[in-house]
Amino acid sequence: MRPGDCGIGLRAPHVAEVLEHRPVVGWLEVHAENYMGGGTAIRTLERVRAEYPLSVHGVGLSIGSAEGIDTAHLERLARLVERLQPVLVSEHLSWSVTGGAYLNHLLPLPYTDEALAVIADNVARAQDRLGCRLLVENPSGYLRFRGSSMSEPEFLNALARRTGCGLLCDVNNVYVTCANLGGDPAAWLDALDRAAVAEIHLAGHAVNNADGRSILIDDHGSPVADPVWELFAHALGRFGPVPTLIEWDTDLPALGVLLGEAAKARAYVAKAADVVAA
Amino acid sequence: MSSLRELQAGFRAALLDEAEARVVSEIIDDGLGASARLAVYRHHVFTSLTDALGTTYPVVCRLVDRRFFGWLADRYVRAHPPASPCLFEYGGELAAFLAAFPACAHLPWLADVARLEWAINGAQHAPGATPLLADIWRSLDADGLAALTVQVDRSVTLLESPWPVDAIWRANQAGADGAVDLVAGAVRLEVRRIDDDIVLRALPAGSFALRAALAAGRTLQEAVDRALLAEPALNLAREIRALLDDGMLVLPG
Repeated sequence: MRPGDCGIGLRAPHVAEVLEHRPVVGWLEVHAENYMGGGTAIRTLERVRAEYPLSVHGVGLSIGSAEGIDTAHLERLARLVERLQPVLVSEHLSWSVTGGAYLNHLLPLPYTDEALAVIADNVARAQDRLGCRLLVENPSGYLRFRGSSMSEPEFLNALARRTGCGLLCDVNNVYVTCANLGGDPAAWLDALDRAAVAEIHLAGHAVNNADGRSILIDDHGSPVADPVWELFAHALGRFGPVPTLIEWDTDLPALGVLLGEAAKARAYVAKAADVVAA
Repeated sequence: MSSLRELQAGFRAALLDEAEARVVSEIIDDGLGASARLAVYRHHVFTSLTDALGTTYPVVCRLVDRRFFGWLADRYVRAHPPASPCLFEYGGELAAFLAAFPACAHLPWLADVARLEWAINGAQHAPGATPLLADIWRSLDADGLAALTVQVDRSVTLLESPWPVDAIWRANQAGADGAVDLVAGAVRLEVRRIDDDIVLRALPAGSFALRAALAAGRTLQEAVDRALLAEPALNLAREIRALLDDGMLVLPG
């Protein structure tokens, strides 16, 4: 995989078509938790892995949990990583487990010294077991905690410095978070430590109404929005060519639609390279 | 400010129990209230877990209709939030939950349909295994054979119901008309994965007892005793040969 290669999130309904037609795409990313069973899914994915660079994107490790990460789940992730030998492994700056219950969502953290210490411990433990650098992704935000003493980019930078983890910059999430919580998305990107960014995500969002006020929902259910493409161009200007992924989960369209979005991302990468060369 | 641990416990109470008091004071209320912001997270938790349950239990969902299923799933999620982030493993208590759910009392077969769908889900995600070869059996003497504990293919579930749950399940697959003769009565089913296919098979009493006992970890002697109790005229030699021919027995692993 080259730095500016663009890929798509591979979802179950597209796997057979990818294996049959071998479309030209830079790389593929899968959600780790969908492949932790022992059935046909993982064996089919191994065939995909033989043809494409693969990234493993975890959604359930809950690196923000105060009670620590679940040992059994970390073991399952480690075994999957050993089996698939992915080019990238990533998780989220969020939590989803408390009191042993898994609240299927990327829940928000207060950006405090206490939370930083908890997450740094969890990330260090995960990286030790996985034997590779973990990339940590900024989530979409719908609320802020009063107790936060750092901005989100400051918190991510500190986490990367402390643990050596990389950062996965989800440009759509930056846009959604800034729209929902206030803030300038370009300034958010400018505040992020450029050397730590090793992957970019792009996706569509929905605009909903909450108590008469519009709120953006990161639902991965539509094409990347125009202002997010503009922000992506800004990100490429700051971070240089970074492996970029199109995510689509809700109302999954035909594979060709995702490939078209990836080709569009690739055109942005090429244009950014021209700007640098000129 | 609460500790991170307290904040996360409070967040859970706000999402699952609507007990928001502990976290509302921690959330910045600018333009949109804390409750409305929490509702965004709560909505995703419940809709995504309802979708996960609907994926594992499509026939239960069809039998009660999607709206009722959504309400039922909401109750279930509150009582049994997932213990693992692997959502294909979520919902193992649904059959017991349905059996005790007053609003479903008029559908007495529903819990057993859920047990069948849970068995199918388990078969889909069970690890593959290497079938035990007949050679290993030949190398054992009679005592060794009787004391042998074998491992049954982990995709296998043996399931007994007073209702024709296999007929109900088949009648509610895509394209089927949903018509079932409930008078067809009790059924003893073997559910397993063979290659990539899920196979449902009704078994006579003796075969079922033999296989259920082996699947529960009984020795061959105990399994044979139970099979003969269930069906005294059972042709044992044929039954044991069928176990091997079916690839039911696998190397422990």
